[in-house]
Amino acid sequence: MSKIRLSFLLPLLAFGILALVGAVALYATLSGSRDPAQLPSVLVNKSAPRTNLASLMPNDAGDNMVQLAAFRGQPLLVNFFASWCAPCRAEAPALEMLSKRVAILGIAYKDRGEDTNSFLAQYGNPFRAIGMDTDGRMGIEWGVYGVPETYLLDANGVVKLRHAGPLTRGVIDATIIPALEALGS
Amino acid sequence: MIMSLNRTRHLMLVSILPLGLLLASFLPNTIVTTAANAITAEEMLANPQLEERARNLSKQLRCLVCQNQSIDDSDADLARDLRREVRSQIAAGDSDDAIIDQLRQKYGDYVLLNPPLDPATMFLWLAPFAFMVLGGVIVLVARRQRGIEDVNELDASERAKIEKLLASRNDRDEPKT
Repeated sequence: MSKIRLSFLLPLLAFGILALVGAVALYATLSGSRDPAQLPSVLVNKSAPRTNLASLMPNDAGDNMVQLAAFRGQPLLVNFFASWCAPCRAEAPALEMLSKRVAILGIAYKDRGEDTNSFLAQYGNPFRAIGMDTDGRMGIEWGVYGVPETYLLDANGVVKLRHAGPLTRGVIDATIIPALEALGS
Repeated sequence: MIMSLNRTRHLMLVSILPLGLLLASFLPNTIVTTAANAITAEEMLANPQLEERARNLSKQLRCLVCQNQSIDDSDADLARDLRREVRSQIAAGDSDDAIIDQLRQKYGDYVLLNPPLDPATMFLWLAPFAFMVLGGVIVLVARRQRGIEDVNELDASERAKIEKLLASRNDRDEPKT
């Protein structure tokens, strides 16, 4: 009798364990602020890719290239945006606010200069400099899969944080500000 | 006796089912996905052999926007950009492994539709085999307990003994079935 019960219970037990593992995994995935649409960035804690782009606005010195390396020595936000991207309009006020606290480098992703200019005229320009990634190649280097995307770099150019999607008040308070504070900014 | 045989058969079915699913998962993807090709003529490489390599690579790479399509299947802008990237690297003479590796460094393992076998995905890859073994063990245990393994012919006295035992056992089982 007890032997029959064992062979009956064994599959049940196996199923129970499996269901438990599944439940824990599901809970871990859905609980907290983790968004399944947010892909992890492999860049975090690595040096940002070497970035050298044509500038939207040539500076006084006649330099018409934007170099990431020139921003070393201070924390830096790198924001991929485009004039054709609706969430980029939505996050414009948030970037404006952040620009008072940290330098922001804008990278116009697959955009035309004239469109970028009219976007900035309409929604404000929070950027220290703007590089043109016309064909989206630089975006691929950074692992961008959709604008807007924002990266926080430390003074040595190491990526500390990546946020895909528009910066909202909630995102800024929960992730950007604490990360900036950790960098002493 | 009949009941226990049915049970064994049932257990065997239960353990064969995962095996069938496992085998089905090895079928080429082309049978499952019927999506039209997103690739346009001007994207293609002139050399058909290189183009074949590009197509093959594109089928292994995930479109990160649509997330469940390969870049070969997807019409998304990013998929087109990645296809262009793959082709320009092929044209530059990079090996397939080098191209995949470069994209992994930018987008992580997630860019691969087939997850690599490493400690984090060990369970994913090995679980089907583990469950097959488990199913086999369950069947074996069940069979042993039912005592229906192949045995040598019984002699007359043993057969008589069995008859007697079975008779008493059937009496006991009767009310249950």
